[in-house]
Amino acid sequence: MKPPTLPYALEAPPPAFARALAAHAGLLLLSAVPLALLWSNPYWVNVLAYTYLFAALAAAWNIIGGFGGQFSLGHGVFFAFGAYAVARLHLDLGVTPLLALIPAGALAAIVALMISWPTFRLRGPFFAIATMAINEACFALANYADSLTGGPRGILIPFRAGIANLIFIERWKYALLMFCFMVIVVLIVVALRRSRLGHYLLAVRADEDAARAAGINTLAVKLKGMALSAALTGVGGGLFAMYVRVLDPPTLFALPDIGVKFALISLIGGIGTIMGPVVGALLIVPLESYLRGTLGGAIPGGHLIVLGVILVAASLFLKRGIVGGASSAWNWARRRT
Amino acid sequence: METFLNILVSGILLGGIYSLVSIGLNLIFGVVRIVNFAQGEFVMLAMYATFFLSTLGIGPYYAVFVVAPLMFVFGLAVQRLVLQPLQNEPMMQIFATFGLLILLENAVLALTRGEGLSLAGPYSRVVIDLFGLKASGVRVIVFVAATAIAIALMLFLHRTMAGKAIRAVIQDRQGARLMGINVERTYLLTFALGSALAGVAGALLAPIYTLSPYIGGNFILAAFAVVVLGGLGSVPGAYIGGLAVGLMESFAGYYVDPALKQAIWFIIFVAVLIVRPSGLLGRAGAEEVGLRAEAP
Repeated sequence: MKPPTLPYALEAPPPAFARALAAHAGLLLLSAVPLALLWSNPYWVNVLAYTYLFAALAAAWNIIGGFGGQFSLGHGVFFAFGAYAVARLHLDLGVTPLLALIPAGALAAIVALMISWPTFRLRGPFFAIATMAINEACFALANYADSLTGGPRGILIPFRAGIANLIFIERWKYALLMFCFMVIVVLIVVALRRSRLGHYLLAVRADEDAARAAGINTLAVKLKGMALSAALTGVGGGLFAMYVRVLDPPTLFALPDIGVKFALISLIGGIGTIMGPVVGALLIVPLESYLRGTLGGAIPGGHLIVLGVILVAASLFLKRGIVGGASSAWNWARRRT
Repeated sequence: METFLNILVSGILLGGIYSLVSIGLNLIFGVVRIVNFAQGEFVMLAMYATFFLSTLGIGPYYAVFVVAPLMFVFGLAVQRLVLQPLQNEPMMQIFATFGLLILLENAVLALTRGEGLSLAGPYSRVVIDLFGLKASGVRVIVFVAATAIAIALMLFLHRTMAGKAIRAVIQDRQGARLMGINVERTYLLTFALGSALAGVAGALLAPIYTLSPYIGGNFILAAFAVVVLGGLGSVPGAYIGGLAVGLMESFAGYYVDPALKQAIWFIIFVAVLIVRPSGLLGRAGAEEVGLRAEAP
């Protein structure tokens, strides 16, 4: 049962959408300031490339994890499929990675649909467990499938610089590439948030039974949200592949570094907000690499101890993240005046 | 035939390990409705505590009686300080327990500098020979302990007032509250009990494994598979599910390929999820209980 469709003029939110797009584009440009300031410092440019990439990946996770309320811990699978797809197409068929990103995203979306169809029967924590198990199972399979993934040793993509190979000598070009990817993902999310699918996803998160009672095909909505989220994650995996050029299963399927990191970044920034993942990534990724540099040598695992404490503390005291907390403070202040 | 029987025995003994680890997890899962991702790290902590006691001259089978109460207190603290404030927020609980996982793993890594420690004593090499079937003594002890704990826990849940309160909370949180059961205290008790069971598991498993900060990861996925397979919140389900997963891993390891054991769990996992999301021995609909916030 579909609700009756409204005439286009009533349905579209015309000027507000353009304004939202412009506002978010402005905020995103602001996040490019550190790159503009630090573009000649190779250490920080590397950190910024990761920051933008993980901002985009967290924003992609946020589509199904934040707006849809489906707490996936298995996004590392889509990330890895995207990375392997780009690497294999590039190495075996000589496809330029720029084009290979499209089949990579498509493959990740198809894998996501196949995985999600059975697991979407589960809710909340049970869904999280199942997706985590899938991540671990795919890790085992990736180690096993020697001919495709190079097994535990991994694949090495040879260094052949050039835009066609998406391999650059200058690091800031990578950072710029990741920045563009982040902008695209966030603008897709801005559009999604205002689309029918976006509203349906929010309804599913708020109360799945009520959403179904209201005539929403909740399974189809969740599958669409997951496919979009996974496709963007797959593209991100492909970009990651061309940046690090070494793909091994322990890196791609590491839960604290990949699958759970997306969720963690979204939590810190604000789950279910548009800019939350970007804010979270700008905070967490540089912090982690700073701590890794200062603590890592003296205390093994020191930076992860801090990360664990942040995770527990944020879940206790910062449930709506920085963006969520700031926006409620803003509303509170506005009501007072 | 001999090979088959030997695989059967090793599968049952491996199943004993999984049962022992899963019973505590499933108790917490079934009652408090918290997915304790850090349960494997609780086991790991208990293993290190056992190792520490052994350097003081206390063997693991005495250390159990120190480690389990310690883990009980640790569980009380975690539930009271971290999880109770998040009672109606399943998403935040996942974050919190995952944070605990990362925290405990790396705190132990920092303290031990990642050195692999081994507790193997003379008893680790004892082999029991039964009509030509060989079984490692320490593993037989784990299997016996898992069986004893499953029976004791069943008796506790059915015969004592506290156990009946726990079962009432499993069935209907709000109804139990209306009957005058202190739900929060029941949660506290259950979580601490599940944590103490992780302590027992850690002490008994310490002589079997080489200790590493990451060893919890070896158990947690198997334990989740057991929980889904056996049924959420069911003690016999966790026990039988543990044996089933152990047997499947053992047979698959011999007849298929040892590298694929996790893939085999996954197939079981998905198959059970499609056919019966509440688990083989769980009550139908158990997978949806307690996910909605309780009415104030």
